[in-house]
Order: sequence, then structure tokens, then C-alpha cells
Amino acid sequence: MSHTKKENKWFKPMFEFGEDLLTESKTNNNDNPLLQSPVKNTINGNEKPFKIQNINHKSLMKNFDPKTIEDLAVHNKKVQEVDDWLKVVCVGNNNDMLLLTGPVGCGKTITIRLLAEKYNIKVTEWITPIDIDIPTEYGEFEYNGKQSTQFLSFVLKAANFTSLLDGNSEKLVLVEDLPNTFTRTPSEFTEVLQQYKLRGKSPIVFICSESHTDNKNSAINLFTPTLKEQFGIQHITFNGVSPTGLKAALKRVAGIISKKYADVYNIPKVDLIECVSNSSAGDIRSAVLNLHFACLKGSNYNLETSIIEKDQKLTKKRKTTSSKFTSLGKDQTVSILHGVGRVLNPKVILENGRKKLTHSPDEIIEQFTSQPTSFVNFIAENYLPHFSIVEHVDKAASLLSDADFLLAEWREKMCQEYGLYISTAGLMLANEAPVSAWNPVRGPKTMKIQYPSPYELHLEDNYFCKGKVLVTDYETYCKIIGDKKTNEINSVYTL
Amino acid sequence: MSLWVDKHRPRDLMKLDFHKDQAIRLKNLVQQSDFPHLLVYGPSGAGKKTRIMCLLRELYGSGVERLRQETMNFTTPSNKKIEIMTVSSNYHIEVNPTDVGIHDRVVIMDLVKNIAQTHQIDSSGQREFKVVILNEVDDLTKDAQHALRRTMEKYVATCRLILIANSISRVIPAIKSRCLTIRVPAPTESEIASVLHIVCKKEGLSLPSDLAIRIAKCADRNLRRALLMCEACKVQQYPFTADQKVSEPDWQLFIRDTASMILSEQSPKKLGDVRQKLYELIIHGVPPDMIFAGLLKELVLNCDMSMKSKIASYAAKYEHRMRLGNKPIFHLEAFVAKFMAIYKKSLEECIGDMF
Repeated sequence: MSHTKKENKWFKPMFEFGEDLLTESKTNNNDNPLLQSPVKNTINGNEKPFKIQNINHKSLMKNFDPKTIEDLAVHNKKVQEVDDWLKVVCVGNNNDMLLLTGPVGCGKTITIRLLAEKYNIKVTEWITPIDIDIPTEYGEFEYNGKQSTQFLSFVLKAANFTSLLDGNSEKLVLVEDLPNTFTRTPSEFTEVLQQYKLRGKSPIVFICSESHTDNKNSAINLFTPTLKEQFGIQHITFNGVSPTGLKAALKRVAGIISKKYADVYNIPKVDLIECVSNSSAGDIRSAVLNLHFACLKGSNYNLETSIIEKDQKLTKKRKTTSSKFTSLGKDQTVSILHGVGRVLNPKVILENGRKKLTHSPDEIIEQFTSQPTSFVNFIAENYLPHFSIVEHVDKAASLLSDADFLLAEWREKMCQEYGLYISTAGLMLANEAPVSAWNPVRGPKTMKIQYPSPYELHLEDNYFCKGKVLVTDYETYCKIIGDKKTNEINSVYTL
Repeated sequence: MSLWVDKHRPRDLMKLDFHKDQAIRLKNLVQQSDFPHLLVYGPSGAGKKTRIMCLLRELYGSGVERLRQETMNFTTPSNKKIEIMTVSSNYHIEVNPTDVGIHDRVVIMDLVKNIAQTHQIDSSGQREFKVVILNEVDDLTKDAQHALRRTMEKYVATCRLILIANSISRVIPAIKSRCLTIRVPAPTESEIASVLHIVCKKEGLSLPSDLAIRIAKCADRNLRRALLMCEACKVQQYPFTADQKVSEPDWQLFIRDTASMILSEQSPKKLGDVRQKLYELIIHGVPPDMIFAGLLKELVLNCDMSMKSKIASYAAKYEHRMRLGNKPIFHLEAFVAKFMAIYKKSLEECIGDMF
């Protein structure tokens, strides 16, 4: 029986559909799939017994996966790029390598899978196993061998041997879940790649998600440019899914819902789709999840209506939908340029006779993900053209000075926040007579100090002076003296 | 090309031209077999380095003057590779840890450790310690200064540190107390003038005393600058005349230019232009504190007494901020903006009074 097997699993899925159904049927040993749930009834306020369809939890999200390449929300050109690579590579015993990077949920994996299906290529994926088993009763561990060796042998087997059941189709190895050991010792990874290059007989695809913080970015740390060159790894970067792509994909999901699963989901309305696609910031996976959650019948009826209400209120103001719809979506993030714009062109609205900023400084700071210093540098570089009166500039500049002072204290985390707050709030309020003109945003200057070298100043090897002293004392006079000397030398030669 | 500054640099403690009492004391210090860590401080161009080199010569003989330049590599804990230029002889090594910015701590710790762990090969008839000279100690980060404190204690048996700073106000007390502090004050104008006379005599030139005094005044009590000015004067016009032109450093002219820009118009747009000028100065390598001082000097010329005090106090405030903060441009700009606001207000009041 299937659920005895399930019992043996060492963890239980937390959100399992029809879990209660299973237990119910086990105890009652009843074939009747209908279940009368009093709880559901009260929520629905329905007299009719509510029928829960048993959605197999494994395919819960798979129901909405794109089935054809046309369904993909990824930009056509990107798909074409990957397609071209696959076409070339899947002929013969080719062991080319491809690296796919992009933000989370932009459709990297599904693109590869669909394209592989199209060309009838068998994809074998590596999933890092736990290298220590669950301890036995006596607390003994069994060590499963080195991760990198395991990885290598798996990858080679997957690349070189076909399953008997598969027929003789082409193969492709997919690695999305790189073993941790490689991040610690990248040299091991290089060795594995070397081995693969020698012995592997199928193309291999690495997929890396990009994150905001560089230090966790395996694509950058592991796949260095030299490595890419050494092994001829092609690199294709995906962008986040465009809003139109998102919307189209969500509409497709809505279509599937209305066709097949109308009894589980409410059919999503257009404005709900809009809301979800706005809040997901190019992440198709979370968008579909959100849509799924928002449409689910019965599970959270109140929440859903409240969203729609909110949304209806907001459609009048249109543009602000994205920032308010956070109850379902992820936290909204603002790009740095966007943030700079909001600080330097603060919009003030009158509310009950009192002035109020449309975006409060708190809000801007909260939605902000990059380093405070880089943001403050951006503001400082760009604030001047927005001011018309020198007194206001004085106020703003002095606040920026305060902010820099606070930001310099990196040991105290609060200081960073205060510094950022002072600069944002200060600049939003300091400018009482803004200039309304379009000003391009400039990046902050890099202040790399260029000291002249003693050689440039025609000094003999002079180890006494460096940097500052050369600039402040020597430079001017060396020029004067040096010019004269070279003139003299020249005149001697001409004589 | 060999400049007068380098050519006529005294090489012996007894041949120094000023602060002779101090020279005698330094000699006595060295004649005893051992000496403590030193912290030499004083304004730029007062002769700190000259005295240290004399001291080393006294210690090790003329071998210290055979210098070589090397690049050393270090790796920070975050696996960043950094390079730093060092100047060394067989007996000492000199380094400027601020060249590597915030990674100065690594340099100090690794460098001193390396030096201290290698003993002198031939210790008979030699001192049993090496000397590490660290420049610009006041610009070190607090982290590096604390690292220094530990290193100083740990390796005291095999190496001595000589720290050089412009002012000890930013050196942490822990370091001050571990060193013998030696202050090298800037030479007075008459001392500078006499040095100029001596140097000119050595070169076989005759220098009018009026010109010597003018150069000394111009040089801001900086002997190095005075000697360079003098040589530049010689190149421009010889025989000397008492009223010949003494050229100022470029960057001072540039700051004066910037100050007149500030005085000409007080508007955000002008401030934008001023900022570009300040950027240029900073990128060129002029230290921000000197920009501050130069600007203040030029700007207060056009103010009455009450304004002067106000502006000077603001300058002090922002300069202090700048020391504590990261980006000098912020504070320079804040000062300029403040000046503009005050100056504009006073101008408007003046015009108001006239009618």
C-alpha cells in the first residue's frame, strides 16, 4: 500500500493535500471519496457538502507548468539561444558545458527541460545527497565518501551510460544543486571538470541562481572567467521575467484553472492577476504560487476577498498597486535609481490639511536592499541640480555630512540605519523649492587618488618622499626645475 | 636629477642645522646600547625623516643608506591580494601602511611579524634588532593602531618601531604610552632663511637676504618646500634679485581659484562647479585637510570679524567630521554650502542697509 511506505519517511510534508482524506479513508476503510468537513462548511457558509478533490501533492505545482515551448514566460530570444546551443551539442559524443544564470524563478530549469523534451534528450539531474546518514540507535554515523568523488562518479555515469529502459536517446546532465564542498574548495571543482572533459560523453548544464549578495553567488565565485575560458563553458544569462510575460503566463494558468480545476480554485479575476504579477517582481515561480494561494477555494476565503477589495480601491490610483500588495507577495524591493528618484523628487500630498509625503522615508529605507553607503553616495552625487536656493543646499549638505559621519561607524549596525535615515529624510524635507527639470542620475565618482610617481617628476631614486609630500611640495617645483634642465640639455645638444 | 633638498640633506646628527639640543639628546639615546620604540611627530617639512635617517646611520653605520625598493604581497582574511611598496636596507624597512587603505591592519601585523622573526645574520658587532619605520601613523585606522599595540609588545626583543606622524592627536593613547615621543617642531622663518643661505653657499650662489626671508615666509615654515622654492627661483632667474617672483605650489593657486569662485556667486549651480574643482584636488592627491585650511584662509579674507569667527567655527566642525567620516567630499561640500549661505545672507543685509 502506498501510505505504509509514506509512514516510513523520516519527515512528513507539512502542507499535504488530502492528508486528512488519507487518514480518514484508512480508519474508515471507506471508498467514498466525499468528505464532510464541518470546518470547511462553516467557512463557506454553504449548505451543500463540499467536495475536496484529492490533488496529488507531488503534482500540485506541476499542474501549471508550461507544457510547450510557446508556454514559456522566458523571452523568445533567450529560449532560442539555449535552443541553438542544444542543437549543436546533442549531436555525437560532445561534452560541452553550459552555464545558465539568472535571478530566482526566471525559468532557467524549465527551459532546459522543455527543450530537452523537444529534442528527445534524456536529462539526468544531480541532487546532492546527505553525506552522513541518519545515526543508528547507537549513535553511529556512516560516512558516505567524499562529496566531490560522488559527484564526479555520478556525473560520469549519467553522461556515459544509458538506461536499458530508455531506448538510445541522447543524454544531458543537469547540475543545479552543486555540492557545498565546491564553494569551500573551488580547486576540487576544477579537477572534476577536468575529469569530465576527459571522460564525459554528454553535454552538461550548470544552473546557478543569482542572489543580491555577491559573496553567496556561486556563479561568480565558482565559475570564474578563467575557468570558463579553460573549459569553454558557454554562459547564458537570463533576466527576470518581463511583466507582459508574467501576465501571459498567469493568464494561461487561469485558463488551466477554469478548464480543469474549477472545483478547487476560484477562477482568478483579471485584477488579481495584475496584482500578483506586480508583486512578484519577475519571479514566475512565486507568481504562480501566489496565484494558487490567492485563488484557493475555502482555505482562506476572507483573505482573498480583502485583497480584492484593496485592489479595487487601488486601481483608481493605478500606479501604487505594486507597493501596497504585499500581503501575498514578497517584500517589495526598490532599485537604487528608483530610490534616488523618490528621495530627490519627493511628492507631497495634502491630507486633512496636513502635508504628507507619498513615500515616507521609512518606507524607502525598508524597501532597500543594497549598502547604505552606496545609496547615500548616489544621493550626494545627484542632489544639487534639484535645489534652487542655497540655504536649502546648506541644510542638505550638512545633513549629508552627518550621515557620512554615522555611516563611517561600521561596527554599530544601528548607525548605518540612522545614517541612511538622516540622509533620506533630510534631503526629502530640506528642499522646499525644488527645481522641476529632468536630471539624469549620475553614478558616484570613484575617488581613486592618483599620486604621481617619483619617476614622472624626473626624480632620481628618492626614497624619502611619497604620495602626499610629492603632491604638496615637490610637484610644482620639479616641473619648473625639470623644464629648465631639459631645455638646457637640449640646448647643449643643439650646440 | 638631484634636487638641493636631497643633495644637501644632513647625514649626521651633529650636522643638523636646527634643534641642535634635540640632536644631542638623540645621539645620547643611541649611544646607550638599546633604545625604545619612537614616535616622531611634527608638521610636514620639519625634518622628521632626516633625523630618523641620521639616527639609523648613527646606529648601523653607512650601510643604512644603501636602500632598495621592493613590493611586498599580503593576503587579507577575505582573500584579497594587496601589494605595498617598501623601502629597505639590511637593517631597516620603511613602509607606508595607509597606501592600502582599510587593509592597513594586515600589513602591519604581517610585516612586523616577518621582520621580527628573522634575526640579523651576523649579530656580532651589530645591533640585535632591526628597525621598522611606519609612516603616517595618524592616518591609520583604529583597528590597525590596536593591532600595532599588540605587535609592539610581542616583538620588542627583535625589532624596534619608529612611527612617524604629523600630529599625535589621532594616535591612540595606548601607542603613545608605549613609545618615546619626540616632537620635531617646524623651523622658524629665520632658521629657514639661514638654511637657505647655507645651501646657496654650498652651491656657490649668492642669495640676497631679502629674498631668503620672502621665500621662508612663502614656504609656510616648511623647510622642504622652501628649498624647492629656492631652487625653482634659481632656475627661473639667476643672479637672484630681492624682488623676484617666488612661485607658489599649483594646488594653492587652484584652491585660491576655487575660493574666488565661491565668493563670486552663491547658488546651487555654482556649488556644483565648486564640487568638480574639489574632486579634482582630491583625486590629484592633495590631502583634504590642506584643502580645508587653504579654503578657509582664502575665504575669511573677505569677511568681517563676526563672520570670520562663525565661519572658522563651522570649518572646525566639518573638518572634525571629515576626520571621523569616510568621504571628505561630503564635508568639504557642506562647509562650502554653509559659507555660501552665511555670505549670501550678509550680502543681502548689506544691500538692505544701503537703501
